[in-house]
Amino acid sequence: MRLMVPHPGHFPALKEIVAAKEAYGLSEVEEVYMGGSPEVMGSGRGVLHAPLLDEIREQTEYAHQHRLKMNIALNSPCSGGHHLTFEGYKIFEWYFDALNNAGVDGVIVAEPYLVELLRDYPMKTIVSCLAYVDAPQRARFFEELGADVITVDTNINRHFDLLEAMVKEVNCEIKVIVNEGCLYRCPFRYSHYNLASHLSSLDQPKSPLFAPDFYFDKCINIRLRDPAQLIKSAWIRPEDMSEYESIGINSFKLSGRTKAVNWIINCMLVYSRRSYDGNLLELLDCPQMLRYMFYIDNRQLDGCIAQWKSCSKHCHECGYCDDLTGEVLTVIK
Amino acid sequence: MKEEISRGRKKLEEDLRANLGNIFVPEAKLFGMVCGCVGFAADLRGLKRDDVEVFKDRINAILEEISNSLGVKPEFIYARKLPGSDEVVTLTVRELCSRCRREFAGSKAAPRPDIMILKKRL
Repeated sequence: MRLMVPHPGHFPALKEIVAAKEAYGLSEVEEVYMGGSPEVMGSGRGVLHAPLLDEIREQTEYAHQHRLKMNIALNSPCSGGHHLTFEGYKIFEWYFDALNNAGVDGVIVAEPYLVELLRDYPMKTIVSCLAYVDAPQRARFFEELGADVITVDTNINRHFDLLEAMVKEVNCEIKVIVNEGCLYRCPFRYSHYNLASHLSSLDQPKSPLFAPDFYFDKCINIRLRDPAQLIKSAWIRPEDMSEYESIGINSFKLSGRTKAVNWIINCMLVYSRRSYDGNLLELLDCPQMLRYMFYIDNRQLDGCIAQWKSCSKHCHECGYCDDLTGEVLTVIK
Repeated sequence: MKEEISRGRKKLEEDLRANLGNIFVPEAKLFGMVCGCVGFAADLRGLKRDDVEVFKDRINAILEEISNSLGVKPEFIYARKLPGSDEVVTLTVRELCSRCRREFAGSKAAPRPDIMILKKRL
């Protein structure tokens, strides 16, 4: 098992992540990732830190000294066509050169053009889950564009038939995100990430947004009214990672680079140990606020993966997750 | 209580203006969070990271005085910057719940890169 963990971006946080990795002997933690410069491109998450190239170099050297690889996320799914302008092309070429010279090991991108552009660099091209690779055919396209690693669309985390087919279809590494709690087949997913791409870059809307949290608020409200949506989300329990290894997926990613460093370290420990007693919502990157509202007993989910592995996802006919919600989820008083 | 919050907002603004020029405190509030933390927060405009670093002791003293007057134990004092910039937009004093004592304030590093820790008394 190989684990890639989020890094909020400030150097003291990296030092704490490294200290925890070494103190607990977490040899499976092989990589970290953090956001790049919003001056070049936004990303799929809010940018809380804009590392300059010297800082990226310094942090990368530190990571390497501690046997960790450093990846930079530039995974905006929308840059408004900027990358296809001559100016945009020159900026990306310059930035990739600079990241390469800084010793960076991999770049996480969602835009197919950037996947192809990165072929010219020794850095690994890591396709973001925001490229929405959800089928073996799509994985093949991205591999042919130059992907070294494909982070699959979390919507298919429980579609073992597709995952298995994808592993067989391509030679590149297939990675799954374990602790994303987004709505299964979320209707807001593309719009929300496109909005995040622009808000986390310098390419801001011309007028102030009157509802910048529209998608997030809708997402939370849907789950408050229908908590079964929390169970249907594509998270992977620490105990169930072996099911993915059995189909040839050995590479796992933790989400959460906008979270507090101690939260990240806790998740890193839990997933490295593959065991957890407590509220599953404590481990999910999003929607973190619902951990104060609901308690999902992780232990009571033992064995549920067997159902999800073979599930047709025809929820109206099945009702398994609805029944399970009644058994494992309680409202915190 | 209403008077204390208004007085605190005014005092903070006046003190920062006296030391740092045109600082604006458009809003100050007492808050209670779902986790159990309570605190006092002041939104600001015009304040920069360097200002906070140089006047940290002074800012801590004012915020401690305000929070004590509101019945909030000043356990964790921090400034929040606009992500990726040096603009400080909020000063917060927080009396921590047990979870945030561990998760938010328990690291040696700032919990997030947009947070500057000004004082920790856990």
